[in-house]
Amino acid sequence: MKSEGFKRHGSNSYVAEFAANEREILINLTEQIIELLAERIDHGQEDPLAAMVGITSHDSPPEDEVLHRLLPNAYQDEVDSAEFRRYTESTLRSKKQAHAMAMRMYLKSAEDGTVDLEHDGANAWLGAINDMRLALGVRLNVQERTQDELELLAPDDPMRGVYVVYGWLGWLQEGLIEALMDEN
Amino acid sequence: MMVKTDTRIEEQIREIFSNDAPWVTIVWDDPVNLMTYVTYVLMELFGYSKAKAQELMMKVHTEGKAVVSTGSREEMEHDVARLHEYGLWATLQRGDQGI
Repeated sequence: MKSEGFKRHGSNSYVAEFAANEREILINLTEQIIELLAERIDHGQEDPLAAMVGITSHDSPPEDEVLHRLLPNAYQDEVDSAEFRRYTESTLRSKKQAHAMAMRMYLKSAEDGTVDLEHDGANAWLGAINDMRLALGVRLNVQERTQDELELLAPDDPMRGVYVVYGWLGWLQEGLIEALMDEN
Repeated sequence: MMVKTDTRIEEQIREIFSNDAPWVTIVWDDPVNLMTYVTYVLMELFGYSKAKAQELMMKVHTEGKAVVSTGSREEMEHDVARLHEYGLWATLQRGDQGI
């Protein structure tokens, strides 16, 4: 990984340069998040009027562990949670997709690898990067494994590459936050 | 004449008349979310100072959870939805439910 991460330029500009492979990895991850969230969208059986006002037939949490982490319960109580999910999950899904789509747009238009974000764009990036980390974190089982165990993954372990990307995303996110907080 | 009121009914009546009875939003510890990120999100969404946001983040980190906002149920549902948008692990509940 070559990028030096985000640096603050002026009052509302956060700039980073990405190598071609870094840009490709990030674009790929945004697309995976968008697709994953789309898997949850109902097909066919939905009441069109209910769909129009944002009510979905989903009132149980996603079975997929990654989707569940991205779309968590709002209450510890299951009945309250189901009710809340019915009225709000589709909005949450679209907001998360919007973050990932915004990040993808920035990357797609940065043909020379230079990304220049303003405050709102930076927030979209932070949200999208965090969703990627949450998704990769579930796959890496960070809930159960200690940092040392993850550091010691063998070079030929298929999870090794996932862990490298997970760590790099954290580093990228942290740098952007430092640049944003710099102004205070 | 003494009227003995059922405490359950009393509680329900109180709830009807005080629909702004305090509810709380709780953020739970999560091994993925970076400490700086949790701090930044709390500052950005709630307008908290860096010091206050850091204090809440540390509480989440060391105690496993922290109340980050208090208000009506509707307000807390709004807060939880915004925290979920940014990937924080948040739930809401009545403030007197034992946290």
